[in-house]
Amino acid sequence: MVEDSANMKTESALAKLPKSPGFWKETWHRFRKRKMAMLALVYVILMAIVAIFSPAIVGTKPVIASYKGDIYFPCLGYYSPRWEAVFTKDKFRKVYPKNLKEKDPDSWAIWPLVFNDPHRRLEENEWPGRPKNPQNGPPSSDNFFGTDKGRVDVFAQVVHGTRTALLVGFVSMGIASLIGISMGAMAGFFGGWVDIIISRIIEVVMCIPTLILILALIAVIEQPEIWHMMIVIGVTGWTGIARLTRAEFLKLKQMEYVAAARVLGVPQFRIIYKYLLPNALAPVLVPITFGIAAAILIESGLSYLGFGAPPPNPSWGKLLQLGRQSYQNWWLILFPGLSIFVTVLAYNLIGEGLQEATDPRLREGGSRE
Amino acid sequence: MRIRVQSSLLLLAFSLVVVFSGCPSKPSPSSSGGTKSSRPKEPLLPESFETTPVEELEATIEWDTPVEWEDRLVYSALARFREQQAAKKVPATEEAVLKLKNDSDESNDKILGTLGRLHESGELIDYDAEIKLLLPSDIKSTNPVMQSSTYEGWVIGMTGLGFFNFDEKMSPYAPAEYVVSWQTSKDKLYDKVVIRDDLVWSDGTPITAHDVEFSYRLIMDERVPIPAVRTGMESIKDVKAHNDYTLIYSHSESLATNVWNLNFPVIPKHIYEKSVEEDPTLGKSKHHLKYEENPVCGGPYQFLKRAKGQEIILERREDWYMRDGKQVRPKPHFKTLRFRVITDSNTALLALKNGDVEDMEFQPEQWVEQTNDSDFYRLNTKARGVQWVYYYFGWNCKIPLFEDVKVRRAMSYCVDYDHILETLCYGLYPPCTSEYHEDSWAGPEKPRAPYKQDFDKAEALLEEAGWIDRDGDGIREKMINGKKVKFEFTIMCANQQLRVDICTSLKDSLDRIGIVCRVRPTEFTVMQEKARAHEFQALFGGWGTGTDPFTTENLWKTDEGRNFCDYSNKRVDELFEKAKYELEQDKRAVSYREIDDILWEEQPYTWLYYRSAFYGFNKKLRGYQFSPRGPFSYGPGFDSIWAVAD
Repeated sequence: MVEDSANMKTESALAKLPKSPGFWKETWHRFRKRKMAMLALVYVILMAIVAIFSPAIVGTKPVIASYKGDIYFPCLGYYSPRWEAVFTKDKFRKVYPKNLKEKDPDSWAIWPLVFNDPHRRLEENEWPGRPKNPQNGPPSSDNFFGTDKGRVDVFAQVVHGTRTALLVGFVSMGIASLIGISMGAMAGFFGGWVDIIISRIIEVVMCIPTLILILALIAVIEQPEIWHMMIVIGVTGWTGIARLTRAEFLKLKQMEYVAAARVLGVPQFRIIYKYLLPNALAPVLVPITFGIAAAILIESGLSYLGFGAPPPNPSWGKLLQLGRQSYQNWWLILFPGLSIFVTVLAYNLIGEGLQEATDPRLREGGSRE
Repeated sequence: MRIRVQSSLLLLAFSLVVVFSGCPSKPSPSSSGGTKSSRPKEPLLPESFETTPVEELEATIEWDTPVEWEDRLVYSALARFREQQAAKKVPATEEAVLKLKNDSDESNDKILGTLGRLHESGELIDYDAEIKLLLPSDIKSTNPVMQSSTYEGWVIGMTGLGFFNFDEKMSPYAPAEYVVSWQTSKDKLYDKVVIRDDLVWSDGTPITAHDVEFSYRLIMDERVPIPAVRTGMESIKDVKAHNDYTLIYSHSESLATNVWNLNFPVIPKHIYEKSVEEDPTLGKSKHHLKYEENPVCGGPYQFLKRAKGQEIILERREDWYMRDGKQVRPKPHFKTLRFRVITDSNTALLALKNGDVEDMEFQPEQWVEQTNDSDFYRLNTKARGVQWVYYYFGWNCKIPLFEDVKVRRAMSYCVDYDHILETLCYGLYPPCTSEYHEDSWAGPEKPRAPYKQDFDKAEALLEEAGWIDRDGDGIREKMINGKKVKFEFTIMCANQQLRVDICTSLKDSLDRIGIVCRVRPTEFTVMQEKARAHEFQALFGGWGTGTDPFTTENLWKTDEGRNFCDYSNKRVDELFEKAKYELEQDKRAVSYREIDDILWEEQPYTWLYYRSAFYGFNKKLRGYQFSPRGPFSYGPGFDSIWAVAD
């Protein structure tokens, strides 16, 4: 019965679809079936949105303001002081609600969803009618995640810290994939002494302890920025990716279509990038996703140790460190801790989902055959 | 003639380390042990004591010019402490005070007034007690001449000899436990000290004046790599053992401050005399390594055990206070001292709550938030007092950004004092408005009004100085030598939460008026190196008070070693010179006050606050009091602390 109906389905599907689905489409199809992985993906996308729009979600600077006839985006001042130059010149001193009205009664502004600042405390009546942030205040309707001992809102710090966390994950793994995939591709494709040399390099790099290298680097660099950390994580974290790419290439280059391409005289680099890489990429996504999770953990760990992003850049790890010193304030530990945990979990779930979706051996027996 | 600039006392060097590393300060107290229990009102000197009379001595020395001597104070700090306490009433019973929470001035006075006393009778004291002291960083060497950090000062203060000390008002004296008499010539060129003849090293060899002379020569020997204690001793011309127990110190110049250079560490001549020739590093030869492990000590305690990075255990020397079956000196209050090395202040607080350490200096947050519960008061109580340790933002006066005094004043107007003092420091620390403390003899006559945050004044000053945002990038700039310089700088501070928070508050304030300030938490040793080399733009640091205002010479005179900010003012240099050669305190104070006024006018520092002393003590401890240099580093200091018997 079951077989019959399956056959029927296949036939009707074949009739409808003239082309068979491609590898990526099929992977996506299988990935979509995994509820946890999908949930994680939605979460990560949500986090990315939060990260990108953090100044508009929580901040003290208007998202859009009309001031003396011009339109400004002061919230971008969180990225560069240039966006606030006019207001700095007009002695706003970063206090917008009052000054906008005072200095230009015709002005209007669209405010962030939550009025609070990740870098500094809120004074009384900075937002009309709002009390000043309490010191070590527990979660409340004004400060969703409480405040720290400098009276800075924790919710604002967690939201703006998302940027740091995701940036570290993506940039460092971006660097790692770039190095890993090209190294792996070369090793797998050319084989011979190229393979031997690259394999040895991989082994050497694997021996470098990332954390200690970062700590050493921070001591040496004059002006350590979060970018240095990302570069170090990227430059040391590509080995897994390279090994997988190499294995895929070793396998794929034996395929008939590659042989055909060679016979036709297709240049080697074209074979690598056009013929082999797209087919080798899917399994490589798995270590990249796991790598992002690991990078976030490393960043949090470093910030926790006090070697993270320079102040006042908010970061989850830094909040945790504050929580360790002010251990009576549980909210300093719970919320950033939860953020780290859930985000790392989400990446790991995505990685796992990808792994199962791309590896034919892990497919559920014959559901699509 | 080029006058050799006398650099600061070792003491100031110590305080520097303390402040930079943010740890409690109890530098090298010249320990003199405890008080005998059986005879509370003992005479200052045992009767059996004999020595050469001063007059006889005089006849045998050939002086360049006739010397007129003035007697200096020689007393037992413990006896004096007991006299002082007799005049004070006990405000409450111990039982009541131990139940008290230190949440007001009144309860603090009660706690200090009741618990901060010496025992009235010997039955109360537990002479077999062990005290577990917090050591925020391990020591490098056990050799007194090799000490360079505060913590080495603490440990070696217990095992080493010190013929000079100062009281809680920072007046110098010689402890009667070691010294019979001390005289200074009227012109301050000579000091004559007669030491007691009943002192022995821990190996039984008598301690004599020859050891002192030998130590002086060893410290001044260029071949020996002495890290810190040589500082200030250049001004001593010579130290001569006139006979076994009489010492003559001669100074190169007639200065009121000569007295502060006398207290150098003393090591046994019979151990090091030959070996120093073979191994001038004092740390390489087998012989030296043996004595590094197990040094011969002259103080009330000796080394029992040392586990590097973990703990140091000292034990009381019976032959320090007993001589031929008779007690010749007060018995030190503890049988063993256990220094526990704990670098992290959170861990230290946990250890205190568990009774694993019995004293510690608190961070403001710890005092206000983390030591009010029964968990803390179960084993401990806490007390506070003044401490003359000030913190500041230092501006590098040689770089284009801060060379203009207007800019430095603008910086001082930007600082959010209210936030720093009231929020970050929980309102525990008083503001600092002078180089010399208001209560010291060199301090300003009328208290100054502190700077207040005033952005209007700050911006006006910056504009006057030419720092204006002309290109509309939100950052002020100025054309200097045809080049556009943006007002961007980095502030360096030790990597400790409170300090980072304070610098971040500055960053936030400057951000509001178009100045970019980056906060750079820096490891302590790196920070010190950079500060010395002037390789920084701004820094956040602190200084503990020296015993005399002359110790600030190397902070403010042109090109001095600790003049991190490269400050230079001719008048200040002159005034320091003037004050140096003045022998009367009142006249010296006039010069120091003028220096203070100039510094306040020019703001090479933005003075922020005094870090008062906030300490936790185990309930079994008694006898602690506070001085401007904290609860330990003066006479009697640690020596007055004792443990109550069960």
